[in-house]
Amino acid sequence: MTYLFNILQDAFFAAIAGVGFASISNPPRQAYKYCALIAAIGHATRYVLTHNSYGEMNLIGASFIASLAVGVLTVFLAPRAKCPAETFSFPALLPMIPGMYAYRAVEALLGCLTHPEEARFNHYLYLLSYNGLTCTFIILGMVIGATVPIFLFKNTSFKATR
Amino acid sequence: MTNTTMTNSKEESRPSPDVPATPKEACIFLSEYAAWLLGCGATCIRIEKNVRRMAERWEMVSEMTILPSHIHITVWNHDRSHSYSNIVRLHHAGISFDINTRLSKLSWAVADQKTGFAEAQEEFAAIVRTRPANPWMVWVLASLANMSFCRLFGGDFAAMAIVLIGTLAGYRLKQIMLEDGMDTRFVFFCCAFFSSVIGAAGYVFHWSGTPEIALGTSVLYLIPGIPYINSVSDLLDGHYISSFSRFMNALVLTACLSAGLCGGLLLMNINWL
Repeated sequence: MTYLFNILQDAFFAAIAGVGFASISNPPRQAYKYCALIAAIGHATRYVLTHNSYGEMNLIGASFIASLAVGVLTVFLAPRAKCPAETFSFPALLPMIPGMYAYRAVEALLGCLTHPEEARFNHYLYLLSYNGLTCTFIILGMVIGATVPIFLFKNTSFKATR
Repeated sequence: MTNTTMTNSKEESRPSPDVPATPKEACIFLSEYAAWLLGCGATCIRIEKNVRRMAERWEMVSEMTILPSHIHITVWNHDRSHSYSNIVRLHHAGISFDINTRLSKLSWAVADQKTGFAEAQEEFAAIVRTRPANPWMVWVLASLANMSFCRLFGGDFAAMAIVLIGTLAGYRLKQIMLEDGMDTRFVFFCCAFFSSVIGAAGYVFHWSGTPEIALGTSVLYLIPGIPYINSVSDLLDGHYISSFSRFMNALVLTACLSAGLCGGLLLMNINWL
């Protein structure tokens, strides 16, 4: 029961984040509900993949699979909303951005700059590399995962506004 | 018989009101259309498809080059006996999926012969006059979104409140500075600095059990996500110059954001060790 609550809570906050970040890019009014739905499904998918009793998936792989789901949903919901598929991709992906890895990478960069002694410098360099690489590959996987379906289903994607 | 033939040939030579009379008219319209589409954050593949769709409907041939801040387009008539080229600077309208959607719909309306050339010009002029969404609504929604973001990263309720206040302050500052026409990179630096100083409240006043999440999340509303996504889309479609340009723009903004965050951390003397 708690597990289900956690999934729903995750989806709820992802939906709010999706709508809020969508508003920054001035989407048509009818797009908001789809942004919320796709963001919720995308983030909940990643939550389930990384938190389950059958073997928790690595965050990079889980983000890629969740982004593929987001990409496929955007392509097939775009004709219904009569909006370009890209309208939903960004708001749905943003809640999955590995913000804490990015923040820790910046922290480690400051650590490198303020600790010239070799042992501590190397430690912070390790933290910078680990967090920076993880963050970069999660973002790459997410963006490729969400973009590939738009190209795979070109006919559907680019006729959405017809 | 002769008369009929003459009448037909006159009718053929007279331009229909539904289509542009010359490649010049078509080229000027299509270049402005493409420049607006590029400026509002459309991907290169969408710009090319929309422009080609309309040119084909008018029985003309179009070829275009999409450069980082310009559109270069040439339009020929159907037998390629006349052509016209135009270079237009992109319109910095800010990202707007509303304008993107309406311009895409306009291209389909032209292609499906629901809209003539004169009507298309009028509709285009109306679309580009569209005002952005209510800034107060965007301000509140973006702040709530960043607060939810904090929760998704595992922040507690105190951390969520700190992020909400930090984003309300930072996003409002962003709106004011952009309205004043300040440099976007400087705006990103200042907003990240401002939000991170407020985001450090959890550390300074010991209000939250997850102060690092509040601080890390407080600047994430500034991430230039659409240029990053469009950059990958252009890369997959083979528009390497545009892809690289969008990626570098986004990278510069991310660097400014990080510099502002570092400034905030140093000012508040956050002990992250």
